[in-house]
Amino acid sequence: MSGEVLVAGVGAHPWGKWPDKSQLALALNAIDAALDDAGLGWRDVGALVAASSRFEGGMGWGLHANEVAQAVAEQPMACINVGGACAAGAIAFHTAANLIASGECDVAIAFGAERMPKGFIPRPPGGADDITDTDFLRWVAMGATNPAYWAIEAMRRRAEHGTTDETLARAAQLMRRHAADNPLARFRDPLTVEQVLASPMVADPLHLLEICPVSDGAAAVVLCSERMARRTGARTARIAGSAIGSGAFGDPARRIPSIASTVNGGTIHTSEVISAARTALDRAGLSPADLDVLEMADNSAWHLLAWPELLGLCEAGQADWLIDHDGFGRDGIAALNPSGGFLSFGEATTAQALLQICELVWQLRGDAGRRQVEGARVAMSAVLGLGANGGSVVLTT
Amino acid sequence: MTEAARAVAEGLFVTDGENAVLLGARCEGCGAVYFPRPLSCRNPACHEKRLTAVELPGEGTLISYTVQRYRPPPLFRMDDWAPYAIGLVSLGDGIEVMGMLSGFELDHIAIGSPVRVICAPLYTDDAGAPVHTYQFAPAPGR
Repeated sequence: MSGEVLVAGVGAHPWGKWPDKSQLALALNAIDAALDDAGLGWRDVGALVAASSRFEGGMGWGLHANEVAQAVAEQPMACINVGGACAAGAIAFHTAANLIASGECDVAIAFGAERMPKGFIPRPPGGADDITDTDFLRWVAMGATNPAYWAIEAMRRRAEHGTTDETLARAAQLMRRHAADNPLARFRDPLTVEQVLASPMVADPLHLLEICPVSDGAAAVVLCSERMARRTGARTARIAGSAIGSGAFGDPARRIPSIASTVNGGTIHTSEVISAARTALDRAGLSPADLDVLEMADNSAWHLLAWPELLGLCEAGQADWLIDHDGFGRDGIAALNPSGGFLSFGEATTAQALLQICELVWQLRGDAGRRQVEGARVAMSAVLGLGANGGSVVLTT
Repeated sequence: MTEAARAVAEGLFVTDGENAVLLGARCEGCGAVYFPRPLSCRNPACHEKRLTAVELPGEGTLISYTVQRYRPPPLFRMDDWAPYAIGLVSLGDGIEVMGMLSGFELDHIAIGSPVRVICAPLYTDDAGAPVHTYQFAPAPGR
């Protein structure tokens, strides 16, 4: 960031199933809350950046910024719509931050809202029914669902690091323990390891309660310049670093929806996310050891073991011990998803990364109530989006 | 490998009825191997980006797997559906391919097993013709 950019306000609609609320209504609810939190009004807003939804909204291209402007504040604003699937929220945030850093405006809002279809996420429209569309091939050639990709990673981890069923279940249990104190989370009942392991097997070794469901939800973040923050006196968090990334050649990840990988042995796993996180930390002048809070995309219990290692919070293979010994609780080496994570929220794809940023801000301001991580000063998000999109944000007090 | 067995997608594999050969590509510039055949070499350090069609090896090593316990959504078709395994197989030269496993007991699948690429019927289409996919089966005699 060339100029200092601050988060002035955040807001989110609770995650769940909301059949009687339109996507736009969910978005407006979150944006109103974020503007209130910032102590700002629509006349202050110079730019709106929408994380364009995947499943409905807009004029065929998903929720978009102009739709919000036309619904609630008809005034000249820079309205920008960004894609990036589950990483779209991070890309929207990054875009908004750069609009302020460049001096184009003093207040920008990044937001996302999603209402998800039921069940396994289906193939998006537009591809051809031939070998040029891997999201066609993965279904017709083998029927590989999203959990199958995560399960193949988890099974590989079992062979490499001896990860047990109990450790995977404890990771899922940790998310529920955190979510118990979060009124925004959809699933807040505590779980025992036995309950997790007794839930139906979806794709070995992953059980139903170790896989994120799908939900409806919306989140918004108001960003502002230092000048504006001084004017309003809002309680802010500082954007120390923000980065977005794409996948690197040779990445060994089982990337949805591909059916094969070209692996070169020298490229880090989940490179689109890890490269973004490393860049965000570099821009902040910080290292993984400095993190008090990590909000990361836990599409499955496997992610909760693999990503902290890939992100440099611990050594490869060490996350199992940390999960087993409460090393990622609120008093751990870093609090892992104090919000409760995707496993407790259910994924509302394009809104999810913005919800992560909301939680970082609440933690840094000391507003997280009973789920507060004491003394949190450095907080990072990390998110992966279909199509090799990655994003990461580092915030500080 | 000229038998006219109907495949789930054209250009994915050829078959003699029993074995399948996966249709890949190799970049003459950097040596990278791809499956299925892509539009372009994806190596950013490769300036030549000249792809040649190749047939991938018929045997490889199982490096991971899962068992799908729920029926996938309707774009996937399978006669007599029952839980089945999907494997991840290294075919050498850095190419790792996912596909259904055949001939394994679901509770006794071992990472590291040698496998061969076969062709197997998956479902019967609306005209009554069998539609085939490639699968990985235990390699014989090993």
